[in-house]
Amino acid sequence: MEYTVEVKNLTLRYGSFIAVDNISFNVKKGEIFGLLGPNGAGKTSTIKVLTTLVPPTKGRVLISNYDVEKEPRQVRRVMGWVASEVILDDDLQVIENLKLQASLQGLYGWEENAENMLEYFKIKETRNKKVGGLSTGMRKKLEIIMALLSEPSVIFMDEPTIGLDVGTRKMLWELIRDIRKKHGVTIFLTTHYMEEADDLCDRIAIISKGKIVAIDTPEKLKAKAGSSIITLEVNQDFKASDLKGIKANRKGNEINISLKGGDASFTKILKRINLKNVDSLRLTKPSLDTVFLNLTGSTMEEQESSKIQNMNFYATIRRARS
Amino acid sequence: MLRETYALFAREVKKTYRNHAVVVMMVIQPLMWLIFFGSSLTHLPADLLSSLFHTSNYISYLLPGELATGMVFIGMFSSMSMIQDKRFGFLKRILVTKAPKESIFLGKVLGAASRGLIQIPVMVVTAMLFGVIFHTNAFYIFIWILSLFLMGIGLASIYSVITMKSKDWQTPGVVSNLINLPLMFSSTALFPATLFPKWMQILSSFNPISYAAAIGREALYGGQVNFLYFGYLVFFSALFLGIGFLASRRWLVAE
Repeated sequence: MEYTVEVKNLTLRYGSFIAVDNISFNVKKGEIFGLLGPNGAGKTSTIKVLTTLVPPTKGRVLISNYDVEKEPRQVRRVMGWVASEVILDDDLQVIENLKLQASLQGLYGWEENAENMLEYFKIKETRNKKVGGLSTGMRKKLEIIMALLSEPSVIFMDEPTIGLDVGTRKMLWELIRDIRKKHGVTIFLTTHYMEEADDLCDRIAIISKGKIVAIDTPEKLKAKAGSSIITLEVNQDFKASDLKGIKANRKGNEINISLKGGDASFTKILKRINLKNVDSLRLTKPSLDTVFLNLTGSTMEEQESSKIQNMNFYATIRRARS
Repeated sequence: MLRETYALFAREVKKTYRNHAVVVMMVIQPLMWLIFFGSSLTHLPADLLSSLFHTSNYISYLLPGELATGMVFIGMFSSMSMIQDKRFGFLKRILVTKAPKESIFLGKVLGAASRGLIQIPVMVVTAMLFGVIFHTNAFYIFIWILSLFLMGIGLASIYSVITMKSKDWQTPGVVSNLINLPLMFSSTALFPATLFPKWMQILSSFNPISYAAAIGREALYGGQVNFLYFGYLVFFSALFLGIGFLASRRWLVAE
């Protein structure tokens, strides 16, 4: 198996604070790989090591077989980078930003490629406009073009859709899938949106408090979390015999049936049950939320929300860095 | 290294020239000095003027000094853009490319020093309107501008190293002002060293502004340029460029 990203026993400390705690994973060539976790779990710290911005405290990271610690310039040559906050020079035109990127990456003959991509991404008409006047969607597109300009083997995207509206987010997902197909580039992204990880990624690593707690495809992770559940809302006339012997949990007017045989058994069960006194029914599929809860003992919101905890965390980081 | 440095330098220059307000202010500020401060000694008795400043027009004494001082202040403000690049993450964007860190530093310093050169033509023309007469030649003008540029490089290197280390806007501003004012007043930009107490004369003899101003006076008013002064400025800029190179390797990191 050919790996584009290899991480072995990576640890990153800021002083006494352990941001990343002995994690290991591999990303296959051409894969869209997601690092999913709440804010403060160590996602950005991990991506900083992978993009050579911070050297690892311990462990080894290879990007296309180049060591981030020993060969950072080779790593930078084969990777692209899309920041969570759009980072472009607002005072320069679109084409000037591209030119600057090409010069910094030491590229020659990049012009035609750049013009084609502007056309393909449908932002050709902004070519000579200052970046400051563009919409967020257009700016994100430009960042992705800049990342693709050096024909990298991997693009790192740190929270690529954070703070974007639903339409722009969906557009970016399409775009990411598209460039993977067109350029065969490996995509490594971090996210704290379950939906994004589920919808976009081939494989996900779930990170919590600096540790990776699971790595697998979204489907397999969800399968581990348990089966789908049919919930019936019934009225008083519903009798136990209406279930025709199907195993169920009844709480007042609510009946939960767990779908052990996968989704295919859904219709089978519906055909057996006497639905006359059922007012409504719904199917709850296992989500990555459930997976996260099962693996870490708390939901992602719980790990993120506590404001005081967060403040303590950032204070620790600040102390550690200064 | 050259291509990356040039690209980053071009970015600095483009950003400055597109901001017309900044260009205008950068020129007006030293112009104000020249006009107001230069005119403040107009009614000093003529023999006193010529014994102190070797001229009958204080503005002609002040012009090379004020241009040298102007480089100092512009160098300071220019290097502040490093903080902006840090804050808006642009430094990170550069750091994830294969551009060497030294080119980031060098691009900033060259940008700062060439910004400082904008003021020269406007100041020279204004001085002529105020009755300053030049006796010079093309080679001397070239040497004079080069000496201003070298001094600008050295000082911009110092400010850039300060901004590399700091995370906020205020610290480099305060530190730079702390350097700027003594640097200006302990030089011969405004007054000749003969008026200074001994300790300030010693300071002045290390002060690059003094040398850039002295070269200017020699070059513009029919004197002989002392190339030892020029050599000192070459040494000064090389020294702080070197320090800046080392510092950029160590301190130019993502936050």
